[in-house]
Amino acid sequence: MNLEKVIAGFFIILALTMNFGFFYGDPTVLEQHNRYELFAAIIVNLIATIYKLGDKTQLGAVLLATSLVADIQLIGAASIWALGEYVTGMNVETVTAIISFSGGALLANITSVVLFTGDVLKSKR
Amino acid sequence: MGNNSLFLIIKRMRTPMFVLVITFAISILGMVMIPGMDENGKPYHLSFFDAFYFVSYMATTIGFGESPYDFTYPQKLWVGFCIYLTVIGWFYAIGSIITLVQDKVLAAQIALAQFQRKIRKMDEPFIIFVGYNSMTRQIIDRLTHDGIRSVVIEKNESKIKELTLEDYAIEVPALAGDIRDPKIFKIAGIHKQNCRAVVSLFNDDVMNLHVALSAKLMNKHVMVVVEATQDEYGQNLKTIGADVVENPFKIVAKRIYLSLTSPSLLMIEQWLYGDPLVLRKKDRLPKKGKYIVCGYGRMGTALEVGLRRAGIDYVFIEASPEKAAKARSGEKVMVGDADDKKILLKADVQEATCIIAATKDDLLNLSIIMAAKRINPDIYTIARENHIADTVVFKAAKIDRVIMIETLMINKTYNVLARPLADRFIRLMAYRGESWGKKVVELMKEHINNNPETLETVIDVNHAYALVNHLSETGEEVPYSVLYRRRDDWRKENPLLILYIRRDDEEILLPDPSLPIKIGDEVLFAGTKDAFEDVEYIMENIYELYYVMQGKECELSLACKLTLDF
Repeated sequence: MNLEKVIAGFFIILALTMNFGFFYGDPTVLEQHNRYELFAAIIVNLIATIYKLGDKTQLGAVLLATSLVADIQLIGAASIWALGEYVTGMNVETVTAIISFSGGALLANITSVVLFTGDVLKSKR
Repeated sequence: MGNNSLFLIIKRMRTPMFVLVITFAISILGMVMIPGMDENGKPYHLSFFDAFYFVSYMATTIGFGESPYDFTYPQKLWVGFCIYLTVIGWFYAIGSIITLVQDKVLAAQIALAQFQRKIRKMDEPFIIFVGYNSMTRQIIDRLTHDGIRSVVIEKNESKIKELTLEDYAIEVPALAGDIRDPKIFKIAGIHKQNCRAVVSLFNDDVMNLHVALSAKLMNKHVMVVVEATQDEYGQNLKTIGADVVENPFKIVAKRIYLSLTSPSLLMIEQWLYGDPLVLRKKDRLPKKGKYIVCGYGRMGTALEVGLRRAGIDYVFIEASPEKAAKARSGEKVMVGDADDKKILLKADVQEATCIIAATKDDLLNLSIIMAAKRINPDIYTIARENHIADTVVFKAAKIDRVIMIETLMINKTYNVLARPLADRFIRLMAYRGESWGKKVVELMKEHINNNPETLETVIDVNHAYALVNHLSETGEEVPYSVLYRRRDDWRKENPLLILYIRRDDEEILLPDPSLPIKIGDEVLFAGTKDAFEDVEYIMENIYELYYVMQGKECELSLACKLTLDF
């Protein structure tokens, strides 16, 4: 067992679950989506990205790419939220934008997890 | 491979970045959760954006004050804690970056990447030197003057620093690395088409063998020039395919032999190595009498062959009984310290005509010469100088002939690399004998002057555009005598002499000027600088060629020719 793999796997999967927790619910009703969950999802995603840095393999490069996509999507969601709250005002359009951004990040997270488990299954030990 | 340094940076930055994210997350979360109070005294919570904004400028110690409202005491308590948390995290990250910049591994990686880029960009032919020392330094210096590029592989980093301080006309890329690692050769560009040669001039024959072997295995087309001072290594090197195996002691022995039997050939050889074309007093060795050779090592054994072939009576003095025991039966080898007066007397130094101090210790050589001179002031003295740094002392000792091993190697290697025809010519003329040598020297002195220069050129499109065009278009035969003609008056001749022509496998020494020129000929000229300029003009320029061949100016002006062509 490789401790580094455990930590990396933990954060990759936690990023997915956190993001799902935020994403789940009616996409038009902001009250069904917790702001703390989005914050946690961003932090965990950032940490997962850091753990993928510096891996020279092909798989490592793809994992890093998916992670960066998730980061950008989630930070985009948070930015739209801040913009809606302070500048344009909240309406259904803004709320759906926030949720769909996190939905995009969710897809990237799923890709990440699939690739990660695939790699684990492929290895013989 | 080139991205190694980048990956190294990223990998090292993992922990600092992790710390940074965690400290920011804790601070932001705390700021959001702790209730504050607005200006009306109503409780409120900072939004994530407010908290992020505040923590960002707090952590970087920019500090714009408390926003959006003044903080309550519970908030201030938390901020006090966060300041230390985030500032420490932030400083830790910055500190890591600075440490990384100073890191030796990273610096080596960056240097390697730069070296690789330089090699990749190098289009001109270049030569790889293994080991940077006083010899290779001078060879590189002379090669850069000729416009030939060099690459250095050196194990010792302080020597590389020395190299970068040296003011070479063209940049000399240097790589720090041990030659025992085969990757090093690959990085130095041995696979490249324009890698002309690998040069290894270590004092240690084993190292040279190692270099030659790896170089030949990596690229069998590359020329390998190595030094070998012991016969068994020389043989090994030849079998693995080293192109040029240089033994400085053999050159010394050959020169001693030549100065005893055919001084003219010696004169030509020394001239081609860069000395003036004269026979100095120091080149006239006593032809009769007994020679005392001190030191029966690598140089001693080489001298033995030369002296025996020249029919000279000689005796050896060797300090180590082991080395003396290696002598063949019938050779006169005395065991003892050569600077010991008793031993010298025993070797009949008062009767001997010449003493050769040939040990690898410069000081010992000097003291041998001094001791011998005290007993026999008329004796002809020859001393071996191992290190260039000792030149001043050797000069002061008033020795008749000083043999500088390092200078010999420098000249020889330079000739092999930059003047291959001269090097070949030296080899070939050895079979011709004294009378032939005398004729060549007379020809040169008569036709040219007392100290001619040499020029090596090839009859190809790059060096002789006009001539090659003319030959391939008309198909008529042009003799070499055309190149002798002067540009200002075609009836007069330039002071020139063709010493050697290499035509495929055929080798022509001192060809007759009526010999027709063939494309692909490699020619070694002797002459003056002005004459060489004329030769180069005639070969390159169609108008000059037309004039010296026809005896009149080409009727078409350049402008006419251009308009006709278009």
